Amino acid sequence: MTAAETGFVLPGVSRRGAQARTLLVSAAGVVLAFLVGGLLVLVAGGRPVAAFRSMFSGTLGSGFAIGELLVTAAPLLLIGLGLALAFRGRVYNIGAEGQLFVGALAGGTVALELGGPGPLLIALAMVAGIAGGALWASVVGVLRARFRVNEVISSLLMNYVGIFGFDYVVRKPLGDPAAGNALASRQLPDETMLPSIPHLFAHVGIFVALGAVPVVWYAMRVTPFGFRVRMMGLNPEATQVAGVDTRRLIVVLMAVSGGLAGLAGVIQVVGVEGRMDGGISASYGFTAIVVALLGRLTAPGVLAAALLIAFLNVGGQAMSVDNGLPYSIVLAIEGVFVLFVLIADRFARAAR
Amino acid sequence: MKPPVVAMRGIVKRFEGVTALDGVDFELRGGEIHGLLGENGAGKTTLMNVLYGLQEPEAGTIEVDGRPVRLRSSQDAIAHGIGMVHQHFMLVPTLTVAENMLLGERGGLLVRRRRLRAAAERIRERAERYGLEVNPDARVWQLSVGEQQRVEILRALYRDARVLILDEPTASLTPPETEQLLPRLRALADEGAAIVFITHHLEEVLAWTDRITVLRHGKLVETVRPQETSAVALARSMVGRDVTLKELGVEVSTADETGHAPTSDAPLLAVRGLECRGDLGVTALHGVEFALYGGEIVAIAGVEGNGQAELEEVLCGLRPPTAGTVAIAGRDVTHEPTAARLARGLGIVPSDRYRRGVIRALPVAENLVFDRIGELPFGTPFRVRRKAVASRARELVDRFSIRVSRLDQLAGTLSGGNAQRIVLARALSRGVRLLLAAQPTRGLDVGGMEFVWARLDEARRAGVGILLVSTDLDEVMALADRCCVLYRGRIVASWSRRELDRERIGLAMGGVVEAPGRPAGAGEVLTRR
Repeated sequence: MTAAETGFVLPGVSRRGAQARTLLVSAAGVVLAFLVGGLLVLVAGGRPVAAFRSMFSGTLGSGFAIGELLVTAAPLLLIGLGLALAFRGRVYNIGAEGQLFVGALAGGTVALELGGPGPLLIALAMVAGIAGGALWASVVGVLRARFRVNEVISSLLMNYVGIFGFDYVVRKPLGDPAAGNALASRQLPDETMLPSIPHLFAHVGIFVALGAVPVVWYAMRVTPFGFRVRMMGLNPEATQVAGVDTRRLIVVLMAVSGGLAGLAGVIQVVGVEGRMDGGISASYGFTAIVVALLGRLTAPGVLAAALLIAFLNVGGQAMSVDNGLPYSIVLAIEGVFVLFVLIADRFARAAR
Repeated sequence: MKPPVVAMRGIVKRFEGVTALDGVDFELRGGEIHGLLGENGAGKTTLMNVLYGLQEPEAGTIEVDGRPVRLRSSQDAIAHGIGMVHQHFMLVPTLTVAENMLLGERGGLLVRRRRLRAAAERIRERAERYGLEVNPDARVWQLSVGEQQRVEILRALYRDARVLILDEPTASLTPPETEQLLPRLRALADEGAAIVFITHHLEEVLAWTDRITVLRHGKLVETVRPQETSAVALARSMVGRDVTLKELGVEVSTADETGHAPTSDAPLLAVRGLECRGDLGVTALHGVEFALYGGEIVAIAGVEGNGQAELEEVLCGLRPPTAGTVAIAGRDVTHEPTAARLARGLGIVPSDRYRRGVIRALPVAENLVFDRIGELPFGTPFRVRRKAVASRARELVDRFSIRVSRLDQLAGTLSGGNAQRIVLARALSRGVRLLLAAQPTRGLDVGGMEFVWARLDEARRAGVGILLVSTDLDEVMALADRCCVLYRGRIVASWSRRELDRERIGLAMGGVVEAPGRPAGAGEVLTRR
């Protein structure tokens, strides 16, 4: 790693030539990804150019398409930011999916069961969602800090506890009698739904997610807290000897990443589904791990990665529907893109 | 007369400019136990690594049974009948004893049941013959340290080793385990094997070896028979004559006859009845007690592996003690985290500077202030003040003559001496009252050593109480106002500056403590075999 990457206090030395080369390598990676992706479309019996055209029109071609893209990107972005922060401190939270569901349950219950003015309820729901996700994740943090339980395993397993707990509560106590035995709660009152943005067919929750980018960036790059997180990630023992309470920091990182996942869950409930059901997450908690790593654990990087993954998801669906291509091809193309981005990234770093 | 089994002549080995072995001759005959003595860094292990093919010498020859050989890998060495048991065992914990034996053999990965059974049979037979009982089907992680060592020895014998190198075999053993091991080595030698026995424990060497070779600073000092020498003479050969600071050209004038009088009335550091466990669960410290006042340097001398590392960790708050108390400036901090200890005025110079002292992937500037990054003037809870950090870093780089090309150079690119200057600069610039300096000059060249000693002396004069944990006798002699020796987890001796004597410290480090009033030489063996 170079000083420019890891330096915190001193600005990195700019290297224009290296930047140009990085750009070139990335562009080559994208071109290659389209070529290989096109080949896959051909194999599946489709027409590559038409397929990619519908991929773009399905994500960027209309207000509706852009809205769809942003709504999909929002949870990935929120969760990815939290995970990037935790991963920086070498706290490997793999439990964001469960934290999302627990947060959704906490926030959704508040919106469903408490009365009061809509905006206040929404705010309360968000606070409850953050608290729910944070508390759920803190259990993992405390286990690691106090008893040295590996957080990868405990957070992964707590996913199932969280998801099935959500299923139970949503099916039974909060269930919608009209929906039979389906996995869905009663419908939220209209006033507790997030308003949508005119002409964009997207809820205002995307602003929450976008607003989190500079906040997390600031916390990571400018504050002593961010510095300590980085220190712990690079050398936990030296960090402890330097007087940082690393056990506390581990719990804090779990809580922050869990809180953001919980917030994403609430936004899915009050912004997209309008009730608590299984549709609030398309494995966002797991995909966000890819987002965080693809974004190289930086806030702007996570923003770019969330948009890329959302583009591939939403665009891939459009491609499949418009061209009658099997969805498995879409998944394969997504994989190809991510792979090429990673390869390009590797080469770009080597060029520096 | 039969040629010696092994004859090494004029062996030279250098590591990045440091000469680890400087023309060493070493000879080994069948049927003998050959003791290899020397301080840490004297070259014992390097010499044996050369013999075991792990390191190739720059010059010198090796003969096995009178024929010159070239040992390029441990495979070569094994083929010539040379086996080595390292200080840190090289066994796979999840495999069984028999499986571990087959590892490294051709086709060893594809272990078939039949081969395993045959191996187990052979192991049982050898184990019985040499009295090294061990169950071939037991998994290694289930075995005690002593049993694991038997497995290592058996593995060498299983490969028909006639030369057996044991690197500090008794260092990690409990006294009863040591008592079991040594007679078995004798029995092996009586069957014709040649055994190299590396150790720091003088009485073990005197009692159990046929010849003793002493190395110092990579050179051969002497090869003697135990009957011709004594613990005192061996200690003298090991540590050499006094190298005073003056000879190194350092003007720190610490060599006052009486040492420095403490400048505080109450102790800055008081340790009482301290006990703790080591990584393997064995008690590593037994009832350690001492007090440290301001303005003095108290040295904890001793050979590595006798509890220094654990003492350092307990004092830093990294390892919980099982009994006893630690008080800093009058307050009990036994159960408080590192941060609370630092707030009481503790400064830490860790023995492993790359693991605990610097963060290699961070720039020099950040390494110089990372323990105070959230405090004024370096930052508020919301913002790190880059300018304040950079200007303090610049100041410290000047004051401590740290050789860096730029402040954003990564600490990992610095030499050991410069990295240590960073650690020292950071520790001493935060207003410490009490400094824990663990092996502060390990691996440094003379210039770096000189610099560290001068800074420690300066801090002492400013009233800082310094606990110097050191394996280096020169360092202890140069700096200590008082000295304690840690041996097998106990403080076995302590002296004031006036009573300091190289030989006595050297003896105590080897476990031999003179009773007061008796003439030197009439040593009392501290631990019975």
